[in-house]
Amino acid sequence: MTPSNDDRIAYLAGEDVTSLPADELAALDALRAELGTAAMWEEPPGSLEDQVVMAVAQAAASEPRSGRVSAEPAAQRAPSPSIWSRLRAWLHRPAYALSLGLSAAVAAAVAIVLVTNSSTTTPALQFAMAVQGTPLAPGAHGAAKLTKTTSGWRIELRATGLPRREGNEFYEAWLKNAAGVLVPVGTFNDARNVTLWSGVPVTKFRSLTVTQQVANGNPKSSGRKVLTGTIR
Amino acid sequence: MYREYGRLVFAVALRALGDRGLAEEVTQQVFVKAWRASEGLDETREIGPWLVAIARRTAIDVYRRESLRTSAPLEAVSADDPAVVTAPVSAESLYETWEVRHAVGDLPEEEREVVRLQHFAGMTHGQIADQLGVAVGTVKSRSFRAHRRLATALGHLKD
Repeated sequence: MTPSNDDRIAYLAGEDVTSLPADELAALDALRAELGTAAMWEEPPGSLEDQVVMAVAQAAASEPRSGRVSAEPAAQRAPSPSIWSRLRAWLHRPAYALSLGLSAAVAAAVAIVLVTNSSTTTPALQFAMAVQGTPLAPGAHGAAKLTKTTSGWRIELRATGLPRREGNEFYEAWLKNAAGVLVPVGTFNDARNVTLWSGVPVTKFRSLTVTQQVANGNPKSSGRKVLTGTIR
Repeated sequence: MYREYGRLVFAVALRALGDRGLAEEVTQQVFVKAWRASEGLDETREIGPWLVAIARRTAIDVYRRESLRTSAPLEAVSADDPAVVTAPVSAESLYETWEVRHAVGDLPEEEREVVRLQHFAGMTHGQIADQLGVAVGTVKSRSFRAHRRLATALGHLKD
């Protein structure tokens, strides 16, 4: 008896079907086995996307690539439907001037990756930034994710190579604009997992700096920079 | 890009290594490697097989690294012990995982849940109906539609 597509579907769905030839049974058995694996149903953790963005941003900051930077505004680029164009656009969005150069010993930056949330009707603005140490902390490095929210810009900093500061010693993060105006965005003890908040737009205040501070009644920056990232 | 392929890459990595933490690590590395390689890549190339290939190579590297962590002396391990095999899953198997996961992701949510409960949780139609609070007939309908979609998408039906 010639098997029908309904027979194939029924077998796949777990029913006993005797009309199928051995090769088709084997193929459908393989598919049924695949459907029974954890890999088919387990979801990656929600934080994995952030980790991927930061990993790519860190790679971009540490691996200068020639001819990569495009100053061409997004609106002037010729539209390209290919996935590779979309991949490169995702990773190298020139919404703002980008620099992928790396200064070895002093404050540098700088990989900004623009990620838009395509699952909502209003895209959420989000950047990932690599940050580097300074002569005071040459081994420090990390990444920051900057997300625009209704409360302001949330800055999630993940940096290593900075010792913990406690007691009346702490770290403070600042944003600075082209005119040199400094805005404090938060104080903390350990830079490995910090959430900071900015009431000014990171698109205007493009320099992120972390300084060593002492609680001595002086709210100004000590100038002792240990971590910086700058949009060039 | 991550939202389009991240779940699929994770599924391939999990299939290869069977460990969520290692699958997360592989997924991160795959996207970094994809970024590094994207500049000179042929734009006509299909991205799915390319990402699967990167994921498999990366999973093998991680598998080898983790295998070296075992402390049993080599002479105590037989030659065909999986710990000494370098390629845990074939490229063809991993690409099948990719394709099936993609097809599963395209199912309507109510149909996908029936398929999950049936194949992964091993439930009968009656048990699924109780779980979902619907009639058995509804479960059977959703099951048939879902499996027809899967069989169609994965090329198991004939004209």
